Amino acid sequence: MKDERDELLDELFSKARLMKPDTGSVEGHFETRLLAAMEEKRSDQYLWSSWTWRLVPWLAVIVIIVGIGSVTIDPGQSGDLFAAFAGGDDDYQVTSILAGG
Amino acid sequence: MNFSESELADERIIEDVLAGRDGAFIQLVTRYRRKVFAMSARFARDRDDLDDICQDIFIKVYENLGKFRSDAPFEHWLSRIAIRTCYDALRKRRKEKGNVPLDTIHYQIAAESGEDHLVAEQARTLLEMGMAQLKPAERLVITLLELEEKPVREIAELTGWSETNVKVRAFRARQKLKRILEKYHER
Repeated sequence: MKDERDELLDELFSKARLMKPDTGSVEGHFETRLLAAMEEKRSDQYLWSSWTWRLVPWLAVIVIIVGIGSVTIDPGQSGDLFAAFAGGDDDYQVTSILAGG
Repeated sequence: MNFSESELADERIIEDVLAGRDGAFIQLVTRYRRKVFAMSARFARDRDDLDDICQDIFIKVYENLGKFRSDAPFEHWLSRIAIRTCYDALRKRRKEKGNVPLDTIHYQIAAESGEDHLVAEQARTLLEMGMAQLKPAERLVITLLELEEKPVREIAELTGWSETNVKVRAFRARQKLKRILEKYHER
């Protein structure tokens, strides 16, 4: 059921509907601006994709170095609690350290 | 399915755009520019904002033209993109609340007397002030329903929301607007 405020709102809407946006002055040369924006977007995308491709060999080198490092470098056993975790035999090492071994 | 001459012309232009002829795309822009501007003007903050929104809409159209299926008119597809872009613009703007437009959009007044002009202008300003406080989804729905006088079903199609959802949002928007206007009158 509509109350007085609804009627007021409906009246406001009906009055506001009399006003149509006049966009004629903003539309001038829109196509030129649009083409420029599309061109800019294209060149940005090209820049990003070309940089991404240039970074691929460097990323591959980093992955290879990390891979080799993880296979060849053995942290060994030490009294350092964190080195024990890195070594993988943490249960044995922690028990040994806590027991004073 | 029967296609109108205009739809067939759209089809031909779209085929040309997809074949890589950018000039054809400009033809498409020129055909629908007025409609897109008129639709977006209700949601834009100022003239620059309107220009940006319309550019976004046509760039999205260009980028997604390959996905357009000819089973519905191009105009419907374009309207859906336009409404979603306007909705995104409203959501983005929520983060920058309180910005007052310096360069406002001009309005044509379909009123006869000078007094009617003034009343229409005041009504529009008052509603704009109230609608600025609504959530983006509520503002979108109430604008399409009350100012553009679109039926609920069409709004549901344009936004991708269910008809119930549209009705609920419209109801909430009206309730909020009534409260805002009441507060304004109390002052």
